Amino acid sequence: MTATTDHWIGELAQQHLDAAYNLGRWLLGNEQDASDAVHDAYVRAARAAHTYAGGNARAWWLAIVRNCCLAKLANRKRETTHLRAVDNEPSVADVEQRAEADQRRALVAEQLRALPVEFREALVLREIEDLSYREIADVLNVPIGTVMSRLSRGRAMLQRAFASETTNEL
Amino acid sequence: MNCETAKPLLEAYLDNELDRADAREVEAHLDACEACRNALSKLDGIRRALRDNSLKFSAPQALRERIAATRHDTTRRPQWLNYAAACVLAFCAGGVSMHLWNSPQQNGIAHDVFASHWRALAATSPIDVVSSDRHTVKPWFAGKVAQTPVVQDFADHGFPLMGGRIDYVGDTRVPVLVYKHGQHIIDVFVMPSGTPLSSTTEQGYRLETVDLGGQPAAIVSDMDATESEKLRDLLKSN
Repeated sequence: MTATTDHWIGELAQQHLDAAYNLGRWLLGNEQDASDAVHDAYVRAARAAHTYAGGNARAWWLAIVRNCCLAKLANRKRETTHLRAVDNEPSVADVEQRAEADQRRALVAEQLRALPVEFREALVLREIEDLSYREIADVLNVPIGTVMSRLSRGRAMLQRAFASETTNEL
Repeated sequence: MNCETAKPLLEAYLDNELDRADAREVEAHLDACEACRNALSKLDGIRRALRDNSLKFSAPQALRERIAATRHDTTRRPQWLNYAAACVLAFCAGGVSMHLWNSPQQNGIAHDVFASHWRALAATSPIDVVSSDRHTVKPWFAGKVAQTPVVQDFADHGFPLMGGRIDYVGDTRVPVLVYKHGQHIIDVFVMPSGTPLSSTTEQGYRLETVDLGGQPAAIVSDMDATESEKLRDLLKSN
């Protein structure tokens, strides 16, 4: 790795650090794991800089971040299940935030968190990060048709969840 | 268009992924159909709920600092590497022909040129100064680099000049002319006189060399050899 390529990867990582961290948070659920995964991704990207073959650099970087997150998720599954339950619980900070923010937002976050990971990540990249279908396809390494069907199913699930919540409230 | 054909397109319409003709047809149908308008507004409701800023996490300062620290570590060359470099130098100086010594140096420059090109493609815009014509680009370089490059526009030949920027090759600041050909973005790095350069390819990108008014220049892009040579001949002939 030359200083120049490292410089380039560093710029890229810093420029899209919020997007990387946001994806990590929604995949892994807590600050520590998300930070670790993004840091791993940076080290991996700097090492693999020479394999970057052009195209959308943000998608290339987020694909590496996602792989590091999925590796962490796989590790976590191998560990005891009660750890997983703890991780999925909202942190103290989240609970405090919830007291201040309105109920509706907290509810949406909860329902997004409850979606299976493949729908959750597609929705996070599309709706929160505003990536195009092409970019999402590059990050997830699936055809565009798959991106469309995951978005569609994810939206349908959320719509049902929102609807049932409204009925419960009534 | 009816509901049956419009429904599957609503999401792509919302996501701005339809071409103009399809989008217009969906809009025409939406004007006439309340059920589809409601479906679209529900989808938009989900979007608004998710786009709410409180759902977007920002990277903590600690993570930013951690990455900055790692960057610093990897950029600094470890001691043993300096030692290894010294050994290689001693070996080369001790009898291996100058030809062998020159090629890794050239490859180093080529690699830096490619890296600068990729970095520029990754940036929001590969140009610092936009070309309205070559007269805006040439004066912009004056005073920023030691030698102002020859600037020409080849729009008539399918290679319009987009603009220019200053970039680094290794630690040298060089002027870069940016051309466009179809979908290809082409960087022309104008190097200081005497820089050893030779044509090469790396990961599907091509570096073509040309003499630009007495200065060696590197044409870098993902164009194929024929297109690359076409731009080379244009640059050479003027």
